[in-house]
Amino acid sequence: MSRIKATIRFLHAWRHPDQIAREVEAELRFHIEMRTAANIESGMRPNEAQLAARQSFGDFHRFKTECCEISRNVSFDPMPVKMGLHIALAAFAGVLALWAVNVPHHSFVGVFRQLVAITILTCLFVFIRRARSRRRLATDHMSDISIAERERPRKNEFFISDAREERHVNIAAHDEQGRTPVERMFKSE
Amino acid sequence: MGKSKAGLLQGTLDMLILKALSLGALHGYGIGQRIAQISDDALKIEEGSLYPGLYRLERRGWIESEWDVSDNNQRAKFYKLTRTGRKQLILEEQNWERLAGATMKALRAS
Repeated sequence: MSRIKATIRFLHAWRHPDQIAREVEAELRFHIEMRTAANIESGMRPNEAQLAARQSFGDFHRFKTECCEISRNVSFDPMPVKMGLHIALAAFAGVLALWAVNVPHHSFVGVFRQLVAITILTCLFVFIRRARSRRRLATDHMSDISIAERERPRKNEFFISDAREERHVNIAAHDEQGRTPVERMFKSE
Repeated sequence: MGKSKAGLLQGTLDMLILKALSLGALHGYGIGQRIAQISDDALKIEEGSLYPGLYRLERRGWIESEWDVSDNNQRAKFYKLTRTGRKQLILEEQNWERLAGATMKALRAS
């Protein structure tokens, strides 16, 4: 049963690597937010609480990458599956080609079949190319190579980024009602 | 006299996570808190290192996770022990007791 679940999880992670990365990030951020809130409750100022939370957490990006990679790894050897997939694709393309040429070439049916076969193979080729490039992008995202991802502002980002200390100072300031950022976040509703 | 915090031996983090979850479902932060609580705050764990451990255990099928709402109304991923995980915890505890006993015996030998 666990083998089936592991396979389903692997296929999900393989199909949606960016979603997995987002989930991991949300989970790790939640931890840091909780730690920051606990530090504030124990009497620290927001800036100190935030810094202490990040320090006690360790290397955020390394742990995020590790978690994503573990999610994408299978608990069994994926090589036979990959080989099987390649063989199946090759066989499918062969059968399709035979089907397309196994009629008189200049008849309407012959031309129609060839067009259908070319269209299907082109779609398959484009789909595989897109899937591969999406996986490559997701890997970059997980490794935090993507600059765009690093620069994209998002909610509560001030807990994580080292690169925007000035913004941290502004966000970390008390608002007009004297609430800290974490209080604003948790008690705004 | 202040308590000194001990680093973790390789492989013990998994056992501690399983032990923490044997008492009920928890999110990652809660697991860290529970480990600190049950070890009387004597073990030093880099908090982030819990997560690769959690993902590894989930991949082995010893724990499972689902997203839910935490006490402070935030979405959080909660983990719980599976039946296989419970069996594994018993095995790990037995192994640990055997190892600790043997090590103690060796240290006390004159």
